[in-house]
Amino acid sequence: MGISKTDIRDAFFDEIYEIGKADKNMLFLTDDMDAFGLKKFVRDFPDQFINIGVAEQNQINVATGLTLCGKKVFVFGICSFMTMRCFEQIKFNICGMNLPVVVVGIGAGFSFDSDGPALHGTQDIAIMRSLPEITIYNPSDAVSASAVARMAYEKNSPSYIRLDKGVYPVIYENSFELQSGFKIIRPVQRISIVSTGYMTSVAMVLAEGLAGRGINVGLLDLMRLKPVDPLFYETIRNTELLITIEENSLVGGLGSIVGELLSDNDSDIKLKRIGSQDKQFVVYGTRNWLHSLNNLTLPDLEETVLSWLRKTHEI
Amino acid sequence: MDSKELIKKAAWVRMEVLESTVSGGKGHIGGTYSCTDILVALYYGKILRFKLDNPGWEDRDRFILSKGHASLALFAIFKDMGIISPGLYETYGKNGGLGGQVDISLPGIETNTGSLGHSIGIAAGMALAAKMDSRDYYAYTMIGDAELFEGSVWEALMFGSQHKLNNLVVIIDRNRLSVMETIDDDNSVFMNFGRKLELFGWNYLELDGHNMDEILAVLGMVKLSDKPSIVMANTVKGKGVSFMENKANWHHGVPTKEQVEIARKELSSQWV
Repeated sequence: MGISKTDIRDAFFDEIYEIGKADKNMLFLTDDMDAFGLKKFVRDFPDQFINIGVAEQNQINVATGLTLCGKKVFVFGICSFMTMRCFEQIKFNICGMNLPVVVVGIGAGFSFDSDGPALHGTQDIAIMRSLPEITIYNPSDAVSASAVARMAYEKNSPSYIRLDKGVYPVIYENSFELQSGFKIIRPVQRISIVSTGYMTSVAMVLAEGLAGRGINVGLLDLMRLKPVDPLFYETIRNTELLITIEENSLVGGLGSIVGELLSDNDSDIKLKRIGSQDKQFVVYGTRNWLHSLNNLTLPDLEETVLSWLRKTHEI
Repeated sequence: MDSKELIKKAAWVRMEVLESTVSGGKGHIGGTYSCTDILVALYYGKILRFKLDNPGWEDRDRFILSKGHASLALFAIFKDMGIISPGLYETYGKNGGLGGQVDISLPGIETNTGSLGHSIGIAAGMALAAKMDSRDYYAYTMIGDAELFEGSVWEALMFGSQHKLNNLVVIIDRNRLSVMETIDDDNSVFMNFGRKLELFGWNYLELDGHNMDEILAVLGMVKLSDKPSIVMANTVKGKGVSFMENKANWHHGVPTKEQVEIARKELSSQWV
């Protein structure tokens, strides 16, 4: 697997451009959040673009009205605002009427690192997955970021797409992986790791390092967080020790998703959840520094995994 | 229907609301009676454009009763027009039946209601869609006056004028009573309200919400505007039943047997 040349955002917006070019009924709304990849869309399809202004509640309400009158609407903004500022509008209008609106939130996890806690997206998964009707995509590479734009566009129900920024290793390679919403990056072992989004690129290095120590671990990326494909559980059911790694708060994120899955299936698999603390980080610094506060840097992760394996008498 | 017939129809709707409240054991009579005359004018007075045999007609005017807790009046009108069946109408207050708000499972309903402050933005989206598709339908919404405290109302008001949505009409049921308080014109929301809205870029109109001729005349005027219109309908909470008028405690409640008798007598005298 090589590193993609394309920024995850550009991959997404290139696909948005193609969708808008082919479907004049498709509209792209933003709460004054810009993106490099969006500029071409705004230039070429001004009639399909609305900058609502910094008014997320109204953005969702206007999207509701447009959708009820037959438009296919994408709404875009920073993920913490797009999910929390207008959660009730999303819950009641978009999901309550099962409207095919696509909510796109940029700034997953700590990607807006030094911009402070208002912009950190570490709780959005927890609240958004409480909505029964929604599909949640957390793409981890350029291919999946591009693909989810179209998958959400073609859906006849609400979607939420979390976008990170930057270039990442190529993870998704074929349409089956995209449809099932997860990818086996390293074959499943007795000890396996499940990660999502940005942390998958970190987990890939972690797994490589553990292998160097003679500890072979499986690695899966869970890209579609809701609904989780039934095949996902079938894939992990024969592991014995499972580790989830995410940047989200441990309350309600990937660890919760996997934990609930194990519980609902009466599984004996032992689970170790690694993620951000249940705490707001009212501090400013780089993503790596914020990770260090949460024991999420590569050495931290390695130490946490090894110590858990020692505790469970695996090593 | 002329205004005399509309007045009779409104009295009939109020009677239906009373009976439903009694039989269902619950209802928001006060805020329903304040907007009953306007609802009757909208549906029977040819203000709203719709086809009874085709509720999903693409060129129909959209109407959102944001104060969906006045649903009982709408149910009575829908039953009378044949939009909903008498059988469905009778389910009010029963488990799984018609309830205290409206939703899109019902014909003639454009959006789910129950959460305040959403409808102007939604109606603005509908009005914008009409402009984009070169259709000539209007998007109307009626909100309660206390709903103006929602910040999202003001977000939507700014959006409506910014996008010159002259096919967007907001009617305010100004009954001056919220659940807990009297909201007079010295409240900061209502202070210089007309001027404030005009400065916001809206066509501001006022009417007496219980004067049928005035309702028809003023609501007809919105089509002359090149701006979105906001109509302050001055109303009385509990209008039509003397002991309910201007009483905050009739926001929600069921009258006693004696009160029902008095109310029936008063309402029936209004449609002969």
